[in-house]
Formats: sequence, structure tokens, C-alpha cells
Amino acid sequence: MKLPKIRELLEAIKALIVGPYTSKFPYKPHIPHPNFRGQPIYNPDKCVGCLACEEVCPSEAIGHEDITDDSEPRRLMIHYTDTCIFCGSCEAACIADNEGIKQSNDWELSFFDRKEAQETIEKELQLCEICGEVIACKDHLKWISEKIGELAYSSPSLYFSRLKSLGIIDENIISAVRDSGRSDRVKILCARCRRETTLTTR
Amino acid sequence: MPKSVIPIGPYHPLQEEPEFFTLTVDGETVVDIDVQVGYNHRGIEKLSERRTFDQSTFVIERICGICSTSHPFAYTRAVEDIIPVEVPERAKYIRTIIAEGERIHSHLLWLGLAGHFLGYNTLYMWVWKLREEILDVMEILSGNRNNYAMFKPGGVRRDIKSEDIPLVIKKIDSIVPTLDRLKKAILDDPVLHARLKGIGILTREDAIDYGALGPTSRASGVAKDVRKDAPYGAYDKVEWDMIVTETGDVFEKVIVRVLEVYESIKIMKTCLLNLPEGEIDLNIKDIPPGEGIGSAEAPRGETFHYVRSDGTNRPARHKVRAPTFMNLPTFKVTVIGETISDATIILAAIDPCYCCTERMAVRNTKGKKIYHGQDLIRLSQEKTEHIKRKMGIK
Repeated sequence: MKLPKIRELLEAIKALIVGPYTSKFPYKPHIPHPNFRGQPIYNPDKCVGCLACEEVCPSEAIGHEDITDDSEPRRLMIHYTDTCIFCGSCEAACIADNEGIKQSNDWELSFFDRKEAQETIEKELQLCEICGEVIACKDHLKWISEKIGELAYSSPSLYFSRLKSLGIIDENIISAVRDSGRSDRVKILCARCRRETTLTTR
Repeated sequence: MPKSVIPIGPYHPLQEEPEFFTLTVDGETVVDIDVQVGYNHRGIEKLSERRTFDQSTFVIERICGICSTSHPFAYTRAVEDIIPVEVPERAKYIRTIIAEGERIHSHLLWLGLAGHFLGYNTLYMWVWKLREEILDVMEILSGNRNNYAMFKPGGVRRDIKSEDIPLVIKKIDSIVPTLDRLKKAILDDPVLHARLKGIGILTREDAIDYGALGPTSRASGVAKDVRKDAPYGAYDKVEWDMIVTETGDVFEKVIVRVLEVYESIKIMKTCLLNLPEGEIDLNIKDIPPGEGIGSAEAPRGETFHYVRSDGTNRPARHKVRAPTFMNLPTFKVTVIGETISDATIILAAIDPCYCCTERMAVRNTKGKKIYHGQDLIRLSQEKTEHIKRKMGIK
């Protein structure tokens, strides 16, 4: 009976010297281990707006909104931080070398208004020049043409968007082709319109 | 002799989870017990059937906050059983490390709660402080204190970095001296002996009859452990002992759990030191049609999953059987004949996890409206009418 009590007394004295185990959290910030997986954050420079993260998200915490009715068509990539479960699927599925969306070390996510619980980035959208349908984000088209290399020259949509983004498109050539009666060939088109211009006898 | 009925629950400030006990008592002695569960139904199986095989892992992980490895472990094994494939060696080791880490923190959590139920709040705080170290280890290894998101069909999601291993080993080693003191404090304490020895006895025969699992059965002398009986992961490649004791009272259940923590530490350390090189993921693309079963030894016993695939990317059927489902009925033999004051610790001794167990809820519909097929059609038609009215269509 006595021995255990002495042993526990030692523990108690030790605790007195060492002090409380708990941290003084609100006054002292808590810095988690670098391996900690916190809130995923978009990197607007790397993200290409391909929506792979939205596709894989198990809790549907990632959404998007396409704004096409004003002069600057753009895609809002929305990450709802209140529904996010920090599983890291988005990062694992990211096509931009897993850097478009990355889990940070941030864990302090409290907010007063639920509407604040979202993070948004804007990506420029490429619309079809005939029907106005969304094709993809401009960065996504760029990513594809870089990925497939010279094969990109088989798709006018890809190489025109690429050349336009580089600012080296020659309007003289385009007008020459346009005058020859196949003006739709030299436009950036969605898959449906491309099919119509290429395959139909119209 | 008149008997009184004591209802506990379903929502009671002392209980972590909603459950409903009806204790029939004669004086101080419990003569009958009835347990009702089903207050915590979340439709997990149906949710899982609406997600892809890969996404389901995260739903399954959230069946239980404590067994957040055992369920995905069993589930991924079931999916791999459909194909069938063997996961890479390194993935097996990583899975084993995470599973054992979970066992350590789960047993420590239970030990703390048991101390709390017995009025040993110092033990409670002490053990939970110890548990923090293990949670830190899990944070270093997987990136999260709980819900590790490490498992996926065909392997693991994240690798264990070799530069983290020394720190992890140091942290694991640091809990051993405290655990030693804790073990001695429990074993030497005459009050705990008087309080826990000889109460809530689950005999070997009853344990077999009721099909008890995990530490509940091992404390009664039934040597049953999936890790030894049908080795999975890296359990057949490391040396470890199954802890089996004889009498089956609450004290033995405490002992089994405390000693199992030592075994888990041993397994975890061996795996970390002998982590083989190689791939961690098979990158499974398609799951063919078929059925698969998978089991894993959760801290509370064997978790069993059944998955049926119809060739699409979603499970056609997913069935979960948690260990508490088998351990819960043993209340009938352990609690009856004991006093009310002992009932709490006996109920807690199987480490019940209701959120794991509750797959289905059956409600008595007496006095409530029952919908038949015709009613459903009528409701559907009414909804269309409602939408039409809203849109202004006559």
C-alpha cells in the first residue's frame, strides 16, 4: 500500500516542478508539426482550373462557378472550408504537379458567419467563338498543349489559344484562311462546334 | 418481491453516445438488463454505396473516431479481395504501423475512461496525457491526430518519411516508462483489486457462446485474434504475443488492454525499424464485378466488411459488422447478479462503441403514420403540384 503511494507522490512532485502539460493556447500560438495536414489552399499561379479536385472530393467541399455573361469570362474555384475533411484527395489528384491546391499547416478555421467559410480563386475561361460554350480555362488549354507537345498542332483550338496567349499570332495568315471560305477552321471552338465545322457537309 | 426499473439514457450527460439501458433491479442487485441501440443511425452503408471505391474510404473512416483505421483496413482488404491483389510490402508495413498506433491510443483512451468511471480521475488525466504523445506520433506519421486518411484500395496514400522515424521511435520510447509506472499503479492498488476483481465475470463458455471478440474474449481465455488466426498486413512478419488471461472479470480486461499496449509498441517499433523499400500503392484502376470480404482486428475485436461490386466504380453493397455488435449481448451474463454501482464499469469493460455498431434502426411505428406505396405516389404527385404552383404553372 505504501510503496505505490510513494511512487505516485514522486510523480506528483515531478508534475509540480515541470508544470502543466497543457499549453496556454490562445495566448501562445500552437505550431503543429510540419507533416500536419491542414486546410487546403489554392495556388492561383499553378492551378489550371481543370476541376479534377472537385471530381475526387469525397465531401463535395470543392465547387466551381462559371461567369460567362460579362466581358471577362472567368471560373471561380470555390473551396468550402466548413465541409472540407482535410483528406488530401484534391492535392493527390491535382494535375498541376500536385501544386495547384496544397494542404497547408493552417488549422485555425473558426469563423462567425458561415458564408465566410469559403476560399475562392479566379481563372480566366476560354469560350467557344461560335456558340459561347465554355471550353476550359485558358491555363488548362495551355497545360494540355504543353503536355502533348507538337501534337497540339493537330487541334486548332489548342494551338490558337497557345499562340494567342504568347501574343505571336499572325493576323495576316488568319485573314488569308478566312477569306478562302473556311473561317471557322481558324477559331477557338468547343468540341461540338469543331465537329460540326470539320465533319458536316454543310 | 416488487422490482424497480432504472432507465438510463438514451441521451444522458454521462454517456458519450446515445444508448438506452433498462436495468431491472431488486434492491441493489441487477436482475435483468435490456439494451436498446439505434439512436445513432447515420446511413453509412448507403452513403458508401453512393461514393466511388476510393472516396468510400473516407466515409468508412468516419464510422468511428477511434477505430478510424480498423474500418478502412477491413474495407480496403475487402475491395482487394474482389480483384484479388496483394498490396506491396511497404504498404503492408505502413498499414500495420498506423493500425497499432490506433490500438495504443484506443486502449489508453479506454483506460482513462475506466479510471473516470471508478472515481480515479488522476488516472484519467494521467493516461490521457500519455495518449497525447501517441496522437503526436500519429500526426507526424500521417498528418493528422485522428482520421488518418492513409488507406486506399491497393495501398496507402502517403509514405512514411525516413527522416521522421528517429523522432517517432523516440516519442514511442518515451511513453514506456510512464506506462510502466501506470501498470504498477494499477496492479499494486489494493482498492482497484477490491473493486474490479471478481465482478462482471464472462466465463470461457459464455464468451464462446456469445461469440465475444477482441480483448473481451481474450480476457476470458478464448485465444481469438485475427492478427494471429488469419495474419494480414505485416503481423506474420513481426514477433509478438497474444495476451490471454483466464478469469474474464473486469480486472483481467484492464490487464489485457494494458499489456496489449506493450505488444503494440513492440510491433510498431519493429515495423518502423524494418520498413522495406519499394512501392506503396498499386494504383488500382478498375474493380471487376464480384464479392469480397475483409476483416481487421480493431482495438475492440474483429471488424468485418463485405463489399460487392457490379463492375462500376461504386460498391453495389457494403456491409459493416463492428466488434461491439458481438460484445454487446454479453451484458446479459456479466451484469445480472451484480450491483447497480458495478454495472457502469461492467458495461464500460467491453469498450462499447455504439456508433460503430449502429447500422440499422428499427422503430416501433405504433400510433404513427405508416406510408404505403399509394401514399408515396400521392406525396410525389403533391410535390409536383407544389413545384408547379411555385413556378406559376397552372
